[in-house]
Amino acid sequence: MRTFFGEKIMNITVIGAGPGGYEAAIAAAKYGADVTLVEKDEVGGTCLNRGCIPTKAFLGASDALDAVEHAKDFGISVENVSVDYPAIVARKNKIKDGLVKGIKFLLDQNGIRLVKGTAFIESPQLVTVQTEEGPVNVESDKMIIATGSVPVVPKMFKYDGTKVITSDEILDLQEAPKSIIIVGGGVIGCEIGQFLAKMGSKVTIVEALKQILPNEDADVSKQLLRQLKREKIKVITGTAVSEVTVTDDGVKADLANGKSVEADLMLVSIGRRAYLDRLGYEKAGVETDDKGRINVDETMVTNVPNIYAIGDIVATPQLAHVASKEGVTAAQNAVKGMDKKVSYKAVPACVFTDPEVAAVGIREDQAAAAGIETKTGTFEFRGLGKAQAMGKIQGTVKIITDPDNVIIGASVIGPHASDLLAELTMAVELGLTAEQLGDVIHPHPSLSEAVMEAAHDVHGMSIHK
Amino acid sequence: MASPQNLKYDADQHLWVDIDGDTATIGITDFAQSQLGDLLYVELPDEDDDFERGDEFSVVESGKKANGLEAPFGFTIVAANDVLDDEPEAINEDAFENWIVRVKITDEDGIDDLVDAAAYDAACQA
Repeated sequence: MRTFFGEKIMNITVIGAGPGGYEAAIAAAKYGADVTLVEKDEVGGTCLNRGCIPTKAFLGASDALDAVEHAKDFGISVENVSVDYPAIVARKNKIKDGLVKGIKFLLDQNGIRLVKGTAFIESPQLVTVQTEEGPVNVESDKMIIATGSVPVVPKMFKYDGTKVITSDEILDLQEAPKSIIIVGGGVIGCEIGQFLAKMGSKVTIVEALKQILPNEDADVSKQLLRQLKREKIKVITGTAVSEVTVTDDGVKADLANGKSVEADLMLVSIGRRAYLDRLGYEKAGVETDDKGRINVDETMVTNVPNIYAIGDIVATPQLAHVASKEGVTAAQNAVKGMDKKVSYKAVPACVFTDPEVAAVGIREDQAAAAGIETKTGTFEFRGLGKAQAMGKIQGTVKIITDPDNVIIGASVIGPHASDLLAELTMAVELGLTAEQLGDVIHPHPSLSEAVMEAAHDVHGMSIHK
Repeated sequence: MASPQNLKYDADQHLWVDIDGDTATIGITDFAQSQLGDLLYVELPDEDDDFERGDEFSVVESGKKANGLEAPFGFTIVAANDVLDDEPEAINEDAFENWIVRVKITDEDGIDDLVDAAAYDAACQA
């Protein structure tokens, strides 16, 4: 630790510049630390380079296509609609590059030293970074590990990066495949599947569990399934892939139910695992759980007192905004010597399909399994003037309360579900009752009225139901 | 309206089922249409589409609700009632007359769970 005008300045090294790591670095700098941020790839991590943002850029394109294809419903005629797929990819890269520059600017502004290379932890105080110019030693008082995750691809899928691919490769194809098998009907599978179907691909989604979006409310999953089927996406649930054969023409998947599917490409999107390969955390004495994730307490500190770990490498939801929250909390605790805890009571999760899916807190089935008595209120968007005017009537808001009317969870499927979820997340975090939320004046005409109506519906007082 | 005695009912899905050998005709009950209100749209499956028990085979939509209909047993679509494309309100006028699909039964599992008119009407009162 060096001193500056008699004040001790703490050195912190953050490994990984994804949304967890770079936010931790900026927060640590703002709290007064001298920060080194190590990144082997590009700042922004998976989220910005190969995840949340690129896929949203794609959805921006499919929304535009959807709008022109349905323009007639609004009394507007459009002719000669065509898709320029390489232009969509180029737009995605332009957005991504701009955001990368934005993060670099923020890092500069906050006096953070960015070291490009692969980190190896030699000891709790020393990290060696393999850079293009050779190894660089970085000594620090405290360390925050934020190395993120990579797609899980078991050997049986015969991953080759060209015919059998993951989300890492799907984003830079120069044309939409004629046909694709998507293994895993979770967030990535549904988002990419719907996008490619709109781009003209013949899409088959194979999900081993009984519903697509296995982590979502069953009614929500059914409504999304209905939409995917309308878009002629073939969805096979409750069946695993038993064998994969890569041929000259494409890929064949034999399913456990005896059927088989063939396509040009296969996307494996069955989950992501903590990326700690060749990091050397064990040399510093950091312990992991049986799934290879670093053990931390709610203050994000590991079993080694000066080492923190955040994001997809710890056993909390693998979401960018959770990583960011954990990163900022770890930075605060590390620099200010505090023991602030991250609250996981209200973790919002969104799926950017059309209609969007968003949820927070506990689900009805989880509550039932835990023996918690619940009440629910629902409201369908079609009951709103605004939804009808927008031509986006599909979907529902569902609010779940405990017997005392306190909101403990909510699921939304419908237009702008991810934006509408913010209010519900606050309600869960603050422990508002359905009555308190419903009593707030909501703007008319707006989609947020569905939230208000669902809150009133918990006690049978929805006006428009 | 009391439900007709000659039909079987899926009390969860509010469907009536008229079984004739290995084929069946399926619609929604009068109680279901009264709860939904004026129907604006009925999404119909295509001929030869296969459905397993529990699969959604149609959606009936009113101004306030979109209600998916799940297959009470496994079947293949023989015909869908095209009249409903232009006149979904026909179901509001006579739900038992205006069927939604005619099917060939491919899996009888679930047929035993169907109930008679008295049991169905009692379930709706509860």
